Amino acid sequence: MVTTTAPTIDARRRPARRGRAGHRLRIAGSIAAALLFLFPVLWMISTSLKLPRDIFASPPRWFSTVTLDNYTSYITQADIGPRMLNTVIVATGAGLLSIVAGSMAGYALARLPIRGAGLIGGLILASRGVPPIALAVPMFLVARRFDLTDRHITLILAYCTFLIPYVMWLMRSFFMALPKELEESAMIDGASRLGAFFRIIVPCSLPGLLSTLIFSIILAWEELLFALVLTNREAATIPVAIAGMAADTEQGAMWGPLTAVGTLTVIPVVLFALFVQKWLIKGLAEGATKG
Amino acid sequence: MTTNTQTAPARGGTSSPAGPGDRRSRRPRAGGPGLRHRWRDLASRWVFLAPALVILAAVLAYPLFYTVWISFSELDLATFTPARSVGWMNYRTVLEDPGFLNSLKVTGVYLALALPLQMLLGFGIAFLLNVEWRGRGVLRALFLIPMVVVPVVAGGVWKMLLDPLWGFVNYVLGLVGIGPVNWLSDPTLAMVSLVLIDTWRWTPFVVLIASAGIMSLPGDVLEAARVDGAGWWATLRKIVLPLLAPVILAAFIVRWLGAVKMFDIALAATKGGPGQATDVVNLYIYEKAFRSLEFGTASSMATMVLAITMVLTFLFLRLNRYLEKRW
Repeated sequence: MVTTTAPTIDARRRPARRGRAGHRLRIAGSIAAALLFLFPVLWMISTSLKLPRDIFASPPRWFSTVTLDNYTSYITQADIGPRMLNTVIVATGAGLLSIVAGSMAGYALARLPIRGAGLIGGLILASRGVPPIALAVPMFLVARRFDLTDRHITLILAYCTFLIPYVMWLMRSFFMALPKELEESAMIDGASRLGAFFRIIVPCSLPGLLSTLIFSIILAWEELLFALVLTNREAATIPVAIAGMAADTEQGAMWGPLTAVGTLTVIPVVLFALFVQKWLIKGLAEGATKG
Repeated sequence: MTTNTQTAPARGGTSSPAGPGDRRSRRPRAGGPGLRHRWRDLASRWVFLAPALVILAAVLAYPLFYTVWISFSELDLATFTPARSVGWMNYRTVLEDPGFLNSLKVTGVYLALALPLQMLLGFGIAFLLNVEWRGRGVLRALFLIPMVVVPVVAGGVWKMLLDPLWGFVNYVLGLVGIGPVNWLSDPTLAMVSLVLIDTWRWTPFVVLIASAGIMSLPGDVLEAARVDGAGWWATLRKIVLPLLAPVILAAFIVRWLGAVKMFDIALAATKGGPGQATDVVNLYIYEKAFRSLEFGTASSMATMVLAITMVLTFLFLRLNRYLEKRW
C-alpha cells in the first residue's frame, strides 16, 4: 500500500486522549462501512449455496444445508458453459487487441513528434463521453446488413470503441513518465522506432501494461449493451444470460441460479482486481482526466 | 476539445511537435538522402498510430456519422439501410414524444441524486479510512469488490435483496417495525432503489480515489492549522476542500462519464418500471430501437443525447482544467 510519512508523524503528535478515541471511532466506522458494502456480495454467495426452501426462509438464514445444486443443475441446462467461454474469448480478444493498438498509439502521443497529436488526444478524451447507445444502433444495422451479428469478432471490435481510447489515455501518461534516455540509447544503437518500442519500452512497462490489460478485460467482461444488441445465440456472453435471468425473477424462481451464475462471474474479476489493486486505483484516478 | 489541442502539448512538455523530431532526424546513424529519410521518419511515427486510428475510424467514427445520417432518414426495414431523407421529421417526432422527454427527466433526476450522494459518501468513508492502522490496506482492498461486480449481476442481486416478500432489506426493516416496503413497484421508491444500487456499486470507486487524494494532503499544513487553533470546520473549508478540489472534480468526471451510460443496472433491477419511473434515456432508446424497431427516431434521440453529453463533458473538463491551474 502507498503510505506517506506525513500522516504518521501527524498522528503521533496529536494529543493522545482525543486522538485515540477519534481514531477508534473512525476505525469502527470504516469497518462498518466496508462490511455494509460487502454484504450484498456475501449474501449472493450464500444464497447460491442454498436449497430453494432456505432461499425463501422467512427469517433469512445464512446457511443451513449447503448445496451445489444451483451450480450443477441450472448451469448444465442453460448453456452457461458456452456463454462463459464466449465471454472469455471476447473479453481477452478485445483486451489484447486494445492493449496492442492502444499502447502503440499512446506511446506515439506521449513521445513521438506528431503533428495533430493534441487534436488526436482531445478526440480520444472526448470519445469517452460517447454514449454506447449511439454506437449500438448503427453497429446493429451494419452488422445485420453484412451478416456479422452473433460473431465474436464483431463484439471484440465493438468493445474496442471504449477500450482503445481508455488504454491510449492510460498508457500515454504512463509512457510520459518513463525516462527518455531509454529509447534514445536504443535508437543510437541503430534500432528502429518500432524495434525500440517492442524491445526496450514494452519490457520496461510490463507492470503497467499488464494492469491496463486486466482492467480492459474486466470492462469487456461486464459489458451488456453491445452484447445484447450484437449477439443472439452463438456468441452471447454471460451478462446477456444474467439479464435474462434477472428478468425472470418476478416470482423469485430464479434466485438460486441467478446468484450461482453471478458468483461464477464475479469471482474471477474480484481475484484479478485484488491482484492489481494498487495499479487499478491509480489507473482509475488518472484514466479520468490527466492530460 | 479545443482546450486539449492547445494545452496537451504544453502539458506533455517532452513531446512538443517540432523540437525533438528535428534532433532525431539528425542522429548520427541517419544516412541516405534527406527527403527519403524524412519520409521514412514520418512513416515510422504514424505506424504507431495507424492500428488504433484505423480501428477507431471504422467502429467509432463511422458509426457515429451513420447514426446522424439515419436520424435524418427513414429506415428501410427490409435491407436495414436508410431509404430516404426526411429532414428534421424524426427530431420533431422525438421532441413531441412524452416518453423521450420523460426519460430525459428521469435520467436527470437519477444523476442529480446519485452523483452528489456518491461523492459525499465516498469522501466521508475515505476520511474514516484515513487512520493509520494495520487493517487499513485490507479494508481498502475490500472496497474494490463492489465496483468490479458485473453491473447486471448487481442489479439482479439487489432486486432479490429488495424483494417485498422475501428480501433481506425488508426483513431488517421489519425488525424495527417498518414495512413491508414495495421498493421496486412504487414509482418514487423505484428511483430511490436505482440510486441505492448504483451508489452501492460506485461509492467504493469514489472512496478509492478520495483516499488517494486525502493521503497526499500535506500533513504539516494541517498541523499548522491545528496549532493556530483552527476548528475542524474552518480547516475543512479553508484548507482541505481547496486542496482536494481537483481530486473531487476528477472523481466527479469519471462518475459522470459512467453514470450517463446507465443501462445495465436499470435493465436488470427495474426494466425502467414501474411505468416509466426509472426509464433512463439509454434504456428508452434501446427499447425504441430494438423492440419497436424505430431506428430513425431512436437515432435522432441518440444524436441528441450524444450532443448533450458532449457539451456537459466539455464543460466539466474545462472546469477541471481551470481548477488544476488555479490550485
